[in-house]
Amino acid sequence: MAHVTGVRDRTSRGWRNAPASPFVARIGWGLARSASIVLLLAGWEILARSGTFTPFVLPALTSVLERILADAMSGDLFLGASATLYRALTGFLIAAVGGISLGMAMTRSIGIRWFFDPIISVGFPMPKIAFLPVVILWLGLYDVSKISMVAFEAIFPVVTATIVGIKGVDREIIWSARNMGASNRELLCQIMLPAAFPQIMTGLQVALPISLIVAIVTEMLMGGNGLGGGMMSASRFADSPGVFAGIVEIAAIGYCLIKGMSMLRRRMLLWHQEALEPSTV
Amino acid sequence: MSASAQIVVKDVSHDYRPPVGRVVRALEDVSLSIREREFIALLGPSGCGKSTLLYLIGGFLRIENGRICVDGRAVTAPGPDRGVVFQHFALFPWKTVKGNVLYGLERGKLPRAERETRAQAFIDLVGLTGFEDSYPSQLSGGMKQRTAIARTLAFDPQILLMDEPFGALDAQTRSLMQTELLDIWQKTRKTVIFVTHDVQEAVYLAERVAVMTARPGRIKTIVDTAFDKNDPQIYRARTFVDKVDEIWGLVREEAIKAQGTHAR
Repeated sequence: MAHVTGVRDRTSRGWRNAPASPFVARIGWGLARSASIVLLLAGWEILARSGTFTPFVLPALTSVLERILADAMSGDLFLGASATLYRALTGFLIAAVGGISLGMAMTRSIGIRWFFDPIISVGFPMPKIAFLPVVILWLGLYDVSKISMVAFEAIFPVVTATIVGIKGVDREIIWSARNMGASNRELLCQIMLPAAFPQIMTGLQVALPISLIVAIVTEMLMGGNGLGGGMMSASRFADSPGVFAGIVEIAAIGYCLIKGMSMLRRRMLLWHQEALEPSTV
Repeated sequence: MSASAQIVVKDVSHDYRPPVGRVVRALEDVSLSIREREFIALLGPSGCGKSTLLYLIGGFLRIENGRICVDGRAVTAPGPDRGVVFQHFALFPWKTVKGNVLYGLERGKLPRAERETRAQAFIDLVGLTGFEDSYPSQLSGGMKQRTAIARTLAFDPQILLMDEPFGALDAQTRSLMQTELLDIWQKTRKTVIFVTHDVQEAVYLAERVAVMTARPGRIKTIVDTAFDKNDPQIYRARTFVDKVDEIWGLVREEAIKAQGTHAR
């Protein structure tokens, strides 16, 4: 019994002695949360330097970072990343605008819903990359075909999220807007769209990493530089640090995109219940 | 009575068709006349169709059998002449208190500055001064309901349709809101149809209480309940207590019947 009390005392004293400054606490939390990543990277470095693998199979993290730095200085990193981001984000924007419009149209018109509903059901779970050979035949090997593939793959989660969001708008909210004289058009733009926005935003948050993935995969399969194309040519030249540099760059860019998107979400959904709660992503 | 009747409900029946399962008759042959500036309560056991009747008058549901006229015109769609206060507030969560109140005014012909003043006046009236820029998610239940009432009053409907507006509030807030509503009603003299299942609330607020039967809902009887609204001690008056007892007896019969049909 005394032992248990002792433990509790020590814990509570520990809390009281915890850093008082919220800034220090935040840095501490940030480090604690990313500890697994730090451990993984440290493990990589130690394993690579231990001589278990040749530098060809597993180059050291430091040499990969050196390569990234060199790429950054020469401008190759900027060129590659901007090509990939251009393809991913253009496709994403097309998917966002097209997906939200199609989703809205499908909730408004029975005819449009009748036509597209089965297509969405079949198309969503299907690996759209299977269309790549056809897209190459139709649109060639350059940006147009890559962006088309990105938009084609990313549009599905946006359409379904928009439909679910608009269908889930509370009946009383719609009625109260109609009560205040909202026309059909006003109802859609001023009520349905903002009310469904949390769901739509979730769909966009799913579509964004898909866009990046498809952009990189198409670059790997069709060439045309970019981060994916760069990794493939590094691989062909047996340039092991170059391949690993690509992986690290893609991971970093992907993380920044996701983080930016969730910051955008929190800014735009200040009114939403979740703005009051801590975010996980 | 028909000469001054503002709302006339004549032989209205309504079926509720759930997406799955069988059709339920919610209302059967309901007829009701409501005078201008009257405060009438619709009282009945839960599921008796009182909200359905309110939404039919509001024009949100299609009238399949019978007729509903407001100011001599048949109801076909919702309109700003009939302002609704919903049970779950139905505020726009992405708009602030002020944005919510302004929404109903934006479709009117008032110039911008006047809309602002009017919205502020109604926010002040319901006691939300200082919360203009709060979002509904930051407000308590009582404050949300006040926002909803301010929003509906602001676009100046002739008729207020209130669907258990205080049902989600705690006892203290509820009692405050009742007094406030009476105050507003006496100041603005609107026609009020107030749906509730609380007998005391109905007797306290309304001039007439329409007691409805268990499903399918009919008007069982209409009881006069015009007490002195300005007497804070009215709850204790003998006549008031007797009236509550009388109506409670009527509702109780129906509640038991309703339970019987559920059990079957």
